[in-house]
Amino acid sequence: MTDVPNNPDEPKVPAPPDSGDRPQVGVDEWVASVEGRRADRSLALRAYGRVPAPAQLIVVVAAVCALPFLLNSGDLFVYGLFTLLYALLGLGLNVVVGFAGLLDLGYVAFYGIGAYGYALLASPKYDLHWQAELAIPVVMVGTALIGLILGFTSRRLLGDYLAIVTLFFGQAFVVFVNNANPHNITGGANGIAPTDPLSIFGYKLTTTRQYYYFLVIAVLVVMAGLWSLLRSRTGRAWQALREDPLAAEMMGTPVNRLKIVAFAFGAGIAGLAGAIFAAVSTGIAPGAFDTSVLITIYAIVILGGTGSLVGVVLGAVVINVTYEALSPSTPSTGRWIFYLALVIAILARIRPWPKLAVVVGGTAAFGFAVHAIAGAVSSSATAGPVTEGGSLTGFIKHWVIIPEHPGSAAKYAYVGLVVAVVALTRLSGWSRAIALIPVLYLTAFVWENLMIEQPAVARLIIFGALLIAIMQVRPQGLLGTSRVEIV
Amino acid sequence: MRENQRVPESVRRALPGGLATSAALALLGFEIADKGWAFFFQITLNGVTLGAVYALIALGYTMIYGILKLLNFAHGDVYMVGAFIGYGVLSSLGGPLNPSVPVWLLIVLMFGAGMLGSGLLGVAIERFAYRPLRAAPRIAPLISALGVSFFLQNSALLLFGASYRSYDPFSLLGFGGAHFGSSVFISWIRIGVVIGAIALMLALIFLVGRTQIGKAMRAVSFDREAAAMMGIDVDRVIAATFFIGSALAGAAGVMFGLVFSQIFHFMGFLAGLKGFTAAVVGGIGSIPGAMLGGLIVGLVEQYAQGYLNGNWSDLFVFAILIVFMLVRPNGLLGTRAINKV
Amino acid sequence: MLKRVSLIASVAAVAALAIVVSAVAGPASTASQAVTCGTTRTIGVAAPITGPAASLGSQQLGWAQFYVTTWNKSHKTKYKIVQGDTQLPNAAEAIKVAQRFGSNSKILVVVGPAGSQEIQDTTAAFKNAGLAFISGSATRTSLTDGSRKGFFFRVVPNDDQQAPAVANYITANLKSDHVFIIDDQEAYSQGLADGVQKLLDAKNVKTTRDSVSQSASDFSSLIAKIPSSTKVIYIPWQLSAKAQLFGQQLKGAGKNIPLFGSDGLFDPDNFTIAGSYDSFFPVNVTSATIKAYASAHGGKPDYFGVPSFVAAQVAVNAVEKACKTGKGKATRATVRKAVASTKLTATLLGIPVSFTANGDVSGGGFSIYKIGSDGAYSKVG
Repeated sequence: MTDVPNNPDEPKVPAPPDSGDRPQVGVDEWVASVEGRRADRSLALRAYGRVPAPAQLIVVVAAVCALPFLLNSGDLFVYGLFTLLYALLGLGLNVVVGFAGLLDLGYVAFYGIGAYGYALLASPKYDLHWQAELAIPVVMVGTALIGLILGFTSRRLLGDYLAIVTLFFGQAFVVFVNNANPHNITGGANGIAPTDPLSIFGYKLTTTRQYYYFLVIAVLVVMAGLWSLLRSRTGRAWQALREDPLAAEMMGTPVNRLKIVAFAFGAGIAGLAGAIFAAVSTGIAPGAFDTSVLITIYAIVILGGTGSLVGVVLGAVVINVTYEALSPSTPSTGRWIFYLALVIAILARIRPWPKLAVVVGGTAAFGFAVHAIAGAVSSSATAGPVTEGGSLTGFIKHWVIIPEHPGSAAKYAYVGLVVAVVALTRLSGWSRAIALIPVLYLTAFVWENLMIEQPAVARLIIFGALLIAIMQVRPQGLLGTSRVEIV
Repeated sequence: MRENQRVPESVRRALPGGLATSAALALLGFEIADKGWAFFFQITLNGVTLGAVYALIALGYTMIYGILKLLNFAHGDVYMVGAFIGYGVLSSLGGPLNPSVPVWLLIVLMFGAGMLGSGLLGVAIERFAYRPLRAAPRIAPLISALGVSFFLQNSALLLFGASYRSYDPFSLLGFGGAHFGSSVFISWIRIGVVIGAIALMLALIFLVGRTQIGKAMRAVSFDREAAAMMGIDVDRVIAATFFIGSALAGAAGVMFGLVFSQIFHFMGFLAGLKGFTAAVVGGIGSIPGAMLGGLIVGLVEQYAQGYLNGNWSDLFVFAILIVFMLVRPNGLLGTRAINKV
Repeated sequence: MLKRVSLIASVAAVAALAIVVSAVAGPASTASQAVTCGTTRTIGVAAPITGPAASLGSQQLGWAQFYVTTWNKSHKTKYKIVQGDTQLPNAAEAIKVAQRFGSNSKILVVVGPAGSQEIQDTTAAFKNAGLAFISGSATRTSLTDGSRKGFFFRVVPNDDQQAPAVANYITANLKSDHVFIIDDQEAYSQGLADGVQKLLDAKNVKTTRDSVSQSASDFSSLIAKIPSSTKVIYIPWQLSAKAQLFGQQLKGAGKNIPLFGSDGLFDPDNFTIAGSYDSFFPVNVTSATIKAYASAHGGKPDYFGVPSFVAAQVAVNAVEKACKTGKGKATRATVRKAVASTKLTATLLGIPVSFTANGDVSGGGFSIYKIGSDGAYSKVG
């Protein structure tokens, strides 16, 4: 409790049982304790916070620009270029979802329209080879117009009904370019290939590095534009629309017009991202604009915190880097991430220190003991090789049971693990800590015997689990604000 | 404008809907004239079968939305798990070629296991992924649901592999069916599925309308806080809703396997999409709406496939549904959203 | 104001830096790096391991892995596979895989990708990296028009060889005058269907063309559309399970029209509609290799991935050759040359494998199989 002066004779109001760190409605403490929380932040963050804003920006931009010198071309492509592309898409979706509060589930169609628009204007298909400085604005404006039309037709739809109409639109786009394809404009399932590289005033962008820097510039420009848009009258009206549509309408804000403009802006940015994507990938096919990309963009926006520009970029970094680091092409990296995530989760959630020590020590001891017993019982039970062990091979070989012929034991173990984790939530306190030990060992067993064999599938499983976990820990997103709900 | 020349309000409201409906009926009439009544009857029957499966999935969506205002995107994958549980029961009891128990018992066991397994899975998902997020902004459970969907889909891929699994209903139940005239045919399996779906829907209506727990569900969906103040255990009611909705999805999964034979890990995505469409088209939050919506979506899909070339049929379905949503923004039986001030 | 100035300054700085950097040479290209051939050598395998086409990709990966494990058991040099998940039809993932493989200096040759649109979109990345990529399933004819010469190879004959074989058999042996063609809206299927339709039209056979989504399971309305006077239904699909389902539903609707499938449907375990035909390579289904694969995979063999087995064979043999002629050192260029000069007299596909200048397999042919009433496949043409 902070030093809010209160009458000592008044009875103390007990905190609600499930409060945690949720803002207390109607209580001043949350506001009053802000300074205390600011002081709690780490030294590094405080030092960063004291640097003036422009210098902060330059530091970040410099770090981003130095990246191509640290990574090889392929890694730069998947980690750097695609992160920025997703950041751009996230910024656009942020306008629709975060600024105006509209659930647009067909957003990826604008991405596709931008890509196909550029591909039609700058490829051998119709022998048009427009320069980028002409093609990109045309594509952006064209996509924005289509966004305008979509916004206009669905201006009277609310909430989930808007979601479904936009979802239809998104699906209809993919079906149109894949099947309907009148007069073979879109190339059907084969798409349009090859597409011209971006050619700005005659200067062709050909290497991954050049595209990377171009995207950095594009993201910065878009961020700057959105930042000033947010502070303009339209931006403030969007915020009013997001917070309370009815009150905004009563205050005279032109709600329908705002929705349409939000759609148009979001679509325009997606069109830009689509054009750049078409140039970077030298060829496009309908499957790249399907629902899986939509889910990724939504995850980025929500994880980063809807409404926050920097948050969206941060979300793109977190999601794309994690997704690519878990790639089946680099399984040893995936293993590190898996174990690191487990360790971090345990360190972060188990307090106090004695309990943590018991869990960590107990798991290690349990593992070695079980491994020794299994080895003594039957030599083939521990004779299997460690797949892609890397530097951890020695430790894993002596800690986890890896049978020579696991058969379907690993699959049953997987199901058992899911059940065990669900059951674990019913326990609490010390019994949960003790029960955690065999569960952790079981997790390592399942990983080494089943999931590392199929790294591509394991990637998506971990990705899904991460999404669930992050939402539990921080439902408002990384840089979103925990809003105080008025009852 | 003089009084008696003004178009009355009710007519003006009904105009777009009336125009759209008459256009659709005219189109249909033209096609019937072109291809004949028997063909129309055949694809209507196909549409009803498909619609029954969609309706069951839509019911789960609508119930969960009604009570939590949450779009449960993991629902399609619960349906997939139900189908796989049914397949597991089928193969462990001898498989479609050589069942070790009488066929009727096998079917009952498949349905029972599928519904129970899916129901429990739904309850676990709610407990794990949605309950901690009840106080969070509405969009957070959406991502959680997507995470659950990824997890379930790929767990199925990990455990069962990527190849299609077949219920092989033709070996199990044969090719028999009812013939109407010379060209219209519907198999017994399809008839059974439609009857089963109707039975489940009637059971649901009875449950929601007449029983104690149904009353509690309706109360919680209407006003959660008031219901809590009246002494209803909200958590338990929500868990029960998830159980019932997911059990219906599990039943739909087993039915799909029996009629259409092929199941694989990605099937929940498409079916979930169609079920979600059906729920919204019928008016999300309304149980009869979900049933009607499922029927409509199934019929529209079959008419489009039957009368149009395959390249354009999917597009046409989406176009029809978009027009429908624009004409009736709240769905067929949905209530006009009254914004509380 | 200050923020705006700093933003403009940073943008200008980045622009200048970009121009300067691109003028300076980039990182050493992996294309020309020489790799020491130790005892362990690496090849890349790109296939759709997850996503809607997972049933196809897992077979391709499985067969490629099977070749490598079989090789490793009987040779001193060991091979390692680096996997790439291309998530067909999401071509963006394929491009990412290509870029990653390109930068991984250990990888000398790539097996895959699977889809024709993926080949198109990844060509630039592979060419820049100097990698040879050998596909076991991309059959679109225009892929070997010369623009990928020396880089792209395929061990399966293309659509221009399969379509005439099918059309000839239909007109000569089945003597059909009305053929109903249904494609499954994927690139492979559309290409083959177009080819066969054109050939049949030229021979004055009446054709009706329709399509159905690859993910559809309800063919009842499509079946209702098929007139009973149809003599043959040509279904160049990729998923044998769907073809089986289609055949059963067709029979259930009382229409006994023979089906004609393409090489993607060859599957004696799943596609067993009596009286149907299928075009496939002359694989010996009783070979010991197939039996060994079956026993390692739960008793049932699958056939979609057999070309990937052969592609892996080409890849491994090429690396062996390049390492031998390079006396322990190989570059991607020498491996490409080795692939181009491949001469395998007998492969699991039943056809000898050597490549034309543009990357097609020379001397490839298709056989027509008929499915008997017991579900067994017998060669008829």
